[in-house]
Amino acid sequence: MAFQTQGSNLRALLVEDIKVNRMILSQMLRKFQVETTVVQNGKEAVELFLGGETFDIVLTDNLMPIMTGPEAISKIRAMGATDVMIVGVSVDANSMEEFKDAGADLCVPKLKLEILEHILQETRSKKNKSSA
Amino acid sequence: MAAAALTSQLNALVNNMFAMGLLDDQFQQLQMLQDSTAPDFVSEVVTLFCDDGERIICELARQLEKPNVDFDRVDSYVHQLKGSSASVGAQKVKNTCIQFREFCQQRSRDGCLKTLDLVRTEFYDLRNKFQAMLQLEQQIQACYPKH
Repeated sequence: MAFQTQGSNLRALLVEDIKVNRMILSQMLRKFQVETTVVQNGKEAVELFLGGETFDIVLTDNLMPIMTGPEAISKIRAMGATDVMIVGVSVDANSMEEFKDAGADLCVPKLKLEILEHILQETRSKKNKSSA
Repeated sequence: MAAAALTSQLNALVNNMFAMGLLDDQFQQLQMLQDSTAPDFVSEVVTLFCDDGERIICELARQLEKPNVDFDRVDSYVHQLKGSSASVGAQKVKNTCIQFREFCQQRSRDGCLKTLDLVRTEFYDLRNKFQAMLQLEQQIQACYPKH
């Protein structure tokens, strides 16, 4: 698979408590030359936004210690971060509704490179439209 | 043994793991992530998965031995194993973890113990095959000395 990168690099926030998953998702994002910040729970993600950090896309797990993905998403959206693409990633079948209710744009059970490529293209289009 | 024969052995092993349902297509995603900038990616992820998996299984056994089992805590550990299994493509282990979580929700110690035995067997079977896979890869690499 040829990994397409177009235009300026996207900035991603990866929110994941399981080390194996962090390693795999980080490498997937690296393949697409996405500049990635990694945190281990929802609270750390919220703190970054509170500190003024901005991201083009957030990829988050559901169940994590201290603060879950949906809880973090609700807080991030409540801060006014409505433009950032937020993707819930969870194998649990009942996570989709929780993510969507919290304000996620998408929910996927597993991230595959093809799916990630499509999501990143969509994120890039959204970013280009809002900066036009 | 010549590189070609070792490669053939490795391919047969991995194909068998797919055929037996130990691995699913998510493992192919890991293989696609390995490149010149991350030449040992698969072995690093697999090693981490095996180490973490063993730790979790030991912890599950310990938690289920307690007179008052904290099923939420047990469920949390199973969730971790399920998550990492799904990510590396460890299909059988992942599916057994799904069953395990149901017994946690039912607060059934017997159900949990039986499923722990099953997940332990499947995990160690997978781990042994992963170790054989990594050993074959190392032997193949040794056939091509770096300059």
